[in-house]
Amino acid sequence: MSDYGFQEEEFESKFNGGTFLRILEQVKPHWRWVAGFVASVTVVSILNSVFTMLGMRIVDDGITAGSPTALQTIAVYYGALVFVQAAFVFIFIFLTGILGHRVQYELRQKMFKHLQTLSLSYYNRTPVGWIMSRMTSDAQRIADLVTWGMLDVTWAIINIVTAFIFMLTINWQLALIVFTVIPVLVWVAMWFERRIVVQYRIARKANSKITGAYNENITGVRVVKAMNREARNLEEFGGLTDDMFGASFRAAQLSALFLPSVQLISAVALGAIVLYGGGQVEIGGMTVGGLQAFISYVTFMLWPVQDLARVFASMQQAIASAERVFSLVDASPDVVDKPESYDPGSIRGDIVFDDVTFWYEPNTPILKGFNLTIKQGETVALVGPTGAGKSTLVNLVCRFFEPQQGRILIGGHDYRDYTQQSIQSRIGMVLQTPHLFSGSIRENIRYGRLAATDDEVVAAATLAGAHEFIMALEKGYDGEVGEGGNRLSVGQKQLISLARAVLAEPEIFVMDEATSSVDTLTEALIQRGMETMTSARTSFIIAHRLSTIRRADRILVIEDGGVSEMGTHAELIRARGHYYRLYTQQFRREMEEAFDKRETGEMEKIPA
Amino acid sequence: MHGGRYLASLTLRREDWQPRVSKNRFNGLLHMLTGYRLMYLGATITLGLGASAKTGTYLLLSYLIDNVLLRNQVGEGLILIAVSFIGLSLLEGGFTFISGTLAARTAEGTARRIRNYLFDHLQRLNFTYHDRNKTGELVQRVTSDVDAVRRFYAEQAIGLGRILLLFGVNWVALLAINIKLGLLAVIIVPFLAVLSVFFFGKVQREYMRFQEQEGKMSTTLQENLSGVRVVKAFARQRYETDKFEGDNFEHYRRANKLLRLHSVYWPLTDILAGFQMLAGYMFGATMVINGELSIGSYVAFVGMITWIIEPMRGLGRIIVHASEGLVSYERIAEILREEREPLTEGLRTLGKPVRGEIAFENVGFRYESGGAVLSDITFTVKPGQTVALIGSTGSGKTSLVNLLARFYEYTSGRLTLDGVDIRTISREFLRANIGIVEQEPFLFSRTLRENIAYGVGRDVTDEEIFAAARAADVHHVALSFPEGYDTVVGEKGVTLSGGQKQRVAIARALLKNPPILILDDSTSSVDTETEANIRAALERLMRNRTTFIIAHRVQSVMDADLILVLDKGRIVQRGTHDDLIRQPGFYQRIYDLQARIESELEREIASV
Repeated sequence: MSDYGFQEEEFESKFNGGTFLRILEQVKPHWRWVAGFVASVTVVSILNSVFTMLGMRIVDDGITAGSPTALQTIAVYYGALVFVQAAFVFIFIFLTGILGHRVQYELRQKMFKHLQTLSLSYYNRTPVGWIMSRMTSDAQRIADLVTWGMLDVTWAIINIVTAFIFMLTINWQLALIVFTVIPVLVWVAMWFERRIVVQYRIARKANSKITGAYNENITGVRVVKAMNREARNLEEFGGLTDDMFGASFRAAQLSALFLPSVQLISAVALGAIVLYGGGQVEIGGMTVGGLQAFISYVTFMLWPVQDLARVFASMQQAIASAERVFSLVDASPDVVDKPESYDPGSIRGDIVFDDVTFWYEPNTPILKGFNLTIKQGETVALVGPTGAGKSTLVNLVCRFFEPQQGRILIGGHDYRDYTQQSIQSRIGMVLQTPHLFSGSIRENIRYGRLAATDDEVVAAATLAGAHEFIMALEKGYDGEVGEGGNRLSVGQKQLISLARAVLAEPEIFVMDEATSSVDTLTEALIQRGMETMTSARTSFIIAHRLSTIRRADRILVIEDGGVSEMGTHAELIRARGHYYRLYTQQFRREMEEAFDKRETGEMEKIPA
Repeated sequence: MHGGRYLASLTLRREDWQPRVSKNRFNGLLHMLTGYRLMYLGATITLGLGASAKTGTYLLLSYLIDNVLLRNQVGEGLILIAVSFIGLSLLEGGFTFISGTLAARTAEGTARRIRNYLFDHLQRLNFTYHDRNKTGELVQRVTSDVDAVRRFYAEQAIGLGRILLLFGVNWVALLAINIKLGLLAVIIVPFLAVLSVFFFGKVQREYMRFQEQEGKMSTTLQENLSGVRVVKAFARQRYETDKFEGDNFEHYRRANKLLRLHSVYWPLTDILAGFQMLAGYMFGATMVINGELSIGSYVAFVGMITWIIEPMRGLGRIIVHASEGLVSYERIAEILREEREPLTEGLRTLGKPVRGEIAFENVGFRYESGGAVLSDITFTVKPGQTVALIGSTGSGKTSLVNLLARFYEYTSGRLTLDGVDIRTISREFLRANIGIVEQEPFLFSRTLRENIAYGVGRDVTDEEIFAAARAADVHHVALSFPEGYDTVVGEKGVTLSGGQKQRVAIARALLKNPPILILDDSTSSVDTETEANIRAALERLMRNRTTFIIAHRVQSVMDADLILVLDKGRIVQRGTHDDLIRQPGFYQRIYDLQARIESELEREIASV
């Protein structure tokens, strides 16, 4: 994948209040659920402290007082509260979880819908992998922050506060001593979390380098072997795994130190309780049960503090995630319909480039003051080296891009007066490496016209020349094409996408011929299908085959982003220019290819 | 760098893991720990000591209550106890830290070793293995499966130990306090353990279903994004949005299903644990009232019981994840079981400079699976001569040259270099003496400089690199980039054209300066001008070297000293160009073809 260069830098953004508010907006429609889980976790958290208090009562009212009846009363309360707490635990897990998934679902939905409106230029500069991460891991991080993060914070704060209140009621002096420890605990916890996050980040980076190194060394293993590079490559790789080891180990070591450090601080508090509280027991200011409750409160105060630290550490990341997600949602399409644009009902008619200037990068215009008229029904072949701008022209006709200056007229009207939908839904397109969607062959053909009947699908496939090979497949039209159509050959994929275009009955047809070699029979079928499509409709063919080129009504030779020659085959051959050179070169290549195919006996393998 | 030392030891010891990869997964995982086993044992022991220190805290609490507070012996005893609390916490923390550090060092260290070993292993497996396996699949195994094994050591194995040790130590302490109470305290444990294992097993299954849907959703997403032109061309945004919504919603639904399981499990175990605690409290309290138990013991009991019950709730999770680690181990072991190519086995030198005389005597080569690729190959090449191999696709040209560098081992006959059977010469030495220039060479994501110097086992000066680049006609290409020779090329860098890549490979070979050369010169996709440049560069390269050309066209073989025409793995014709054009056969046909192409082309052009 060519995601490199666009690799997301690890956002280490400062806390951004605006972004945070916008995150909160995502849950605003579900505020009842939020209120529900915040309330339930509050109850659960308070009950935690209550259980500790009941434990104290068992000691003081039951044991010390020697009263079995008091024990029974407490047992009843305790038992009942166990059920109550369980019920609320159920509620908060359920609500928080559902809300989390809901928020993710909605974020994804929102992003996806928006993506469908964005122009091709957005996709040209944004790698698929980047968008994918926004819709998966980033959506999840945002959802986690507003659900489990919020839950943890609520739980932690309520826990600390109620524990503190209960401690105050037992012995306020002692409670105040304990209270001084809490800020220290929080500070230490944050200190650790921050450092651990940094190490993890280093480890993640090292990890992606390791994956890259594996990938490259396996892909290029033949060169590695031929060059005897094994030892040196291992040495270099060792440097990467050392980095990974270093960072992961430091992260693990910090984590291993984290808990004991926090525990030690609370042990100091515990020592203070014993010293001070123990003295109080003697003079009656403190009971054994009270002492036990204090110890319990202090011991279990560790968890909320840790949770707080974790949420704050992950908050930065979540906000960075949110910024990226919002940047996607805020991206505006380059090609926008004018408010008064309409559907003309048909886009038949001449296509005119009127003084068109177009660029991807402002300093390097692809077209400059370009004029061209294509007659209704004409077949135009675009030829020239790869990357010279053949698809740019086609993209402009399809209005995937719009010219920066000048106009493109369809049937005498500036096509910007029409809606994009009205233009694009009347264009049929077959790409060089045709894109198919997972699903059956039938579904893929039907993509051309969703309402088509099965018979119409078959008819289109027949017309496109795809029917025979489809029937030869085990499951026929119900056969799965695999992810991205990878169960089919390039030629077969082209046939299916031809059928798809046939079914759409477009008014303009666009085809990008395959450069990779396709077997002779399939090649012939594709040619025939293409003929069907190009007759009687305006067609643009990015051509690589001589037969296609020769048949075109007009040939445009495109080099270095401009049209260098234009005319019919005969005219251009006579001109002895670029086209002549390209043509003779291609002629030799095709003849040799045909010869090689014949020699390998491919013709014999093909059933007549 | 300590990494270097470590690597040195790895290569010096010539570790061979094959015998370590036993059938039994547990044994295998244990074997991989070699060198870390004591450390891991240390981690477990300190973990136990830490757990004991925790239990000690509760016993100390019991002593404090019974012997100090209730006997009114406060005074200095209290200080001692307070200090002891802190001391025990220090001990517990210290042990936990040591245990965590040792476990991390074991897990990360073992993972690093596995990564390094696998990296080296993969580059030493033969071509046959790499022909058979997909890069993506291999990378998956060496990254995520290694990580799963790392987690097995770092989290699951040690986590299981933690649960068992906490349980064991605390239970023994409880039994020591009071046998009846000790037995009562664990009634729920078996139920909890079984419930947990059952639950997490179920969660695992649901989780797989969820993951499956996540995969499906991201496929839909990926296909939509990469097929954006098709979506736009057919104006199918609505349809796509609906489809994605379907997948997204199913994802949401399955996530909620998973959630429902959790929202039932945790409250349920809350109730079980709650009642276990309550029963313990009541029973213990009654015993205290009846004088069968001291109040201090009771308080200690209350503290310890939490550490028995709580960890049990997560037992199932650890077991499920541990089983994933075992599966991953097996997938890694599959790679490790493969036989390496011994690179240094055999002669490291021929005693004198390699002249480059190569003799094939009835050489045959067949795959282990049976199919004969080459048979009865007999010919001799004198030092400095050029042999051209010609024949249709799949005739065995590439296989033949692959035998020279022992990428594949010939299976019958005899193949000698300067009179020495190449099977007795080490691969390393052979490959150091052979240069290979492929048609579409693989460049690494490194700088141009590094790519050119890739195969030279020594430090090279810039002058040497420039000289090679000039001779290969790629110097001006390098200088055309802003960063010159420091321009990163390959997948992550600047994309070079086919011709440029080939010239980099020629520079690479020139710098390596081998006596034997292999050129792959099949149908060229570069245009005519560059072809002339490449040809000139190639001629410079071939001077004074024994050269094998895999050819496709007559032009590139005409000057060869010997032309071999291959068909179905056999030599069907041999001789010089002048000999062969007179014999009827493949060569004549292809030669005639070239002539026919030209005449047909002329006719074509004349006819317009």
